[in-house]
Amino acid sequence: MPINIPQRKAVIQDIKSRGGMVAAVLPIHYPRALLRAFNIFPVEVWGPPRVDVSLGGSQLQSYVCAIVQNALSFIKMGALEIADLILIPHTCDSLQGLTSLLIDMVKPPSPVFPLYLPRGRREEDVIFLAEELQSLYAGLAELTGRRPTDAELLAAIAREELCDQLSGRLYEQRQTLGLGNLDFYRLLRSREYLPAEEFAALAESALAVEAAPLPGTPLLLSGILPEPMMVLDLIEEMKGLVVADDFAGCGRRLYRPGLSPEPFRRLAESLVAAPPDPTRGNAIGDRVQFLVEMAAKTYARGVIFYEVKFCEPELFDLPELRAALKERGLVSLHIEVDINNPLPQQTATRIGAFLEMLNH
Amino acid sequence: MTIINSLKYYWNVKLTGQPFLAWQRRQAESHPKISARWRSDILSPPLKIAARTRELISRHYLEGRYAAGHRPVAWVTSGAPVEILQALGFYILYPENHGALCGVRGAVVELSGAAENAGYSTDICSYARTDIGSVLSGKTPVGRLPPPDLLLACTNICQTVLHWYRVLARHFQVPLILIDTPFVYSKLAEHSLEYVKIQLENSIPAAERAAGRKLDYRRLKEIVQLSKDATELWQEIINRGHQRPAPLSVFDQFIHMAPIVEMRGQKATVDFYAALLKELDENIANGIGAVRNERKRLLWDNLPIWYRLRYFAEYLGEHGICVVASTYTNAWGELAPFMNTQKPLAAIARTYISPILNQGTGYKLATMQRMVTEFQLDGIILHSDRSCKPYSIGQIEQRNRLIQEFDIPALLLEADHDDPRAYAEAQVASRLAAFVEMLDD
Repeated sequence: MPINIPQRKAVIQDIKSRGGMVAAVLPIHYPRALLRAFNIFPVEVWGPPRVDVSLGGSQLQSYVCAIVQNALSFIKMGALEIADLILIPHTCDSLQGLTSLLIDMVKPPSPVFPLYLPRGRREEDVIFLAEELQSLYAGLAELTGRRPTDAELLAAIAREELCDQLSGRLYEQRQTLGLGNLDFYRLLRSREYLPAEEFAALAESALAVEAAPLPGTPLLLSGILPEPMMVLDLIEEMKGLVVADDFAGCGRRLYRPGLSPEPFRRLAESLVAAPPDPTRGNAIGDRVQFLVEMAAKTYARGVIFYEVKFCEPELFDLPELRAALKERGLVSLHIEVDINNPLPQQTATRIGAFLEMLNH
Repeated sequence: MTIINSLKYYWNVKLTGQPFLAWQRRQAESHPKISARWRSDILSPPLKIAARTRELISRHYLEGRYAAGHRPVAWVTSGAPVEILQALGFYILYPENHGALCGVRGAVVELSGAAENAGYSTDICSYARTDIGSVLSGKTPVGRLPPPDLLLACTNICQTVLHWYRVLARHFQVPLILIDTPFVYSKLAEHSLEYVKIQLENSIPAAERAAGRKLDYRRLKEIVQLSKDATELWQEIINRGHQRPAPLSVFDQFIHMAPIVEMRGQKATVDFYAALLKELDENIANGIGAVRNERKRLLWDNLPIWYRLRYFAEYLGEHGICVVASTYTNAWGELAPFMNTQKPLAAIARTYISPILNQGTGYKLATMQRMVTEFQLDGIILHSDRSCKPYSIGQIEQRNRLIQEFDIPALLLEADHDDPRAYAEAQVASRLAAFVEMLDD
């Protein structure tokens, strides 16, 4: 059953018409609830397609990934002027460079807020992140003139934790939702711009459906994001079913709630304990274990590492990940894509051959 | 640690190796020979200290060959706070320096190829590929690298090092200490500084376990002082480039910076830089410049192109051009004021969160602006380094602003610090020639 998902543009207009503020947020991890407590609605920018890439290319070298190139192009096109602020989590060297470039050189009309995410899961990392979030709170308070109370922060956190839980259930019931690959990811990714309340309603209506299990060879995807999204249709056409993923923008953001009753600490605990992610410095062994457990739970027969060109955090782990998965009987395929281009025929052929191999 | 390994160490390093290297150095000092390939027509004779540089580096790698089983061994990133490990008696290896050495010796393609054959992409840093390739193949131009008992990665130069050291930690199955240094976009936040300090404190027990001994804080203070002394001397050496003619080119600095990178906290390093400074002052007094007929002076931004140092030195030298300043070599000197022996851990935290690579593009631009004025520069070469995104992102805008502000030519040269396959020989030559012409306009 197709799900009626509002368009990003309409959602932004609706937020604005209701007096809300919009934060353009770059990948990957950030505290949605903290923004919402200020009545700021996050809208994520994952290297939007159809931009004039020459705008970013005039200030970034060609060996910087398309997500960062496109984001800069998008900003220079003026497409983010609707945003009241730009939040850029420190995800990698390229996003760090972009943030710095924006703050020091480009100076877009909307203020830029950086957010440093610690590269570990130690107690000192949680303490630091809680302080970093307090520092972001101070910046947002200055921008908006508001100072949400702890109770307001905790209410916003509860809303987002519900959405996290619903996202987790969508994955658990993936095979009986009656959603094809593309529809499933459209629904999941609508959280990139939908307010928590709207996403929760959509997710609940999807979860209410109990359909016959979908056919297809069960597959896992890993990487940054499933773009261009036609790859999902392509996999379906080739009789593959994406049963779960380790995408930075999707499966690696299935946050568990924090434990602390103190809002900043609770947010920090949740972000630090998220599924393993190279951009947060988690060990390769943790990633192997995560993927193996995910495959066992979903009966996935293989993994496609679907990577954005020039993404160092992903590329470093690949050889060890693939070797470790192979030892455990899980075969994998590595594909590199340029998200600005349609999927090349060669990629389609390789995915087809991979699925054929899994079926024999 | 075993007696046999210690005996091997003493025999090969202390009793035979080091005396031999010292003899070799004395020979080179007393009978200086200039290689037939040296372009004496355009460049002044090599510095006398070069023999001592060779001795220091050779001693360092010689020790490394026999360190395993005798001393604890740590592999660390180039901007890591090594003072604690030095105080605990570790032999410290810098894979990045080893990568640079492989670059100079033309070993990168083979070593990197070993990593690529194992699945590592050519889009990851060439130092990392070289190091991983060396680990996987067991090959190195220095004979043998000791396996680590401990890894120390500090994110103050890039995030790449953390990805790279996670691979090493999995390969060697040894503890990895992470010192995460939040990026300083504009102002250093107190909570960031505190975070680094707490990590340093918390790293000590793991380092002590790997070393098999307790940290002596008195020794730590001595080492911080030695680091500070060497760093101050290095900064003075760099600043001698204010002189006309400059007594030291950046290509010389790239070679003589090895001790400040891999031997910080050692008395020999302080003595070495004191001797280098003395030699430079003598040359200044005698009017000897690195380039014989210095007409133009340049700034180099970013890492060197290790496998083409000689080419750049000679090509520019032929045109009376001396590259006298570099943001890269300066990075190893500008942190001296932060070092402080009174509260060593707090000082180490402040020092190691502050390198140029952990600060915004505006800070680097300001550094270059200051250098253009202080060193009276006529032009700039910005090496857009495919393998170093943190250093390279921002260069396009920095270049534009420097041209606009100072009305001097600035060349953005795309290459890679270690991998010659990313270096387009003819393209670089023609762009360099055009740049040199512009300098004379």
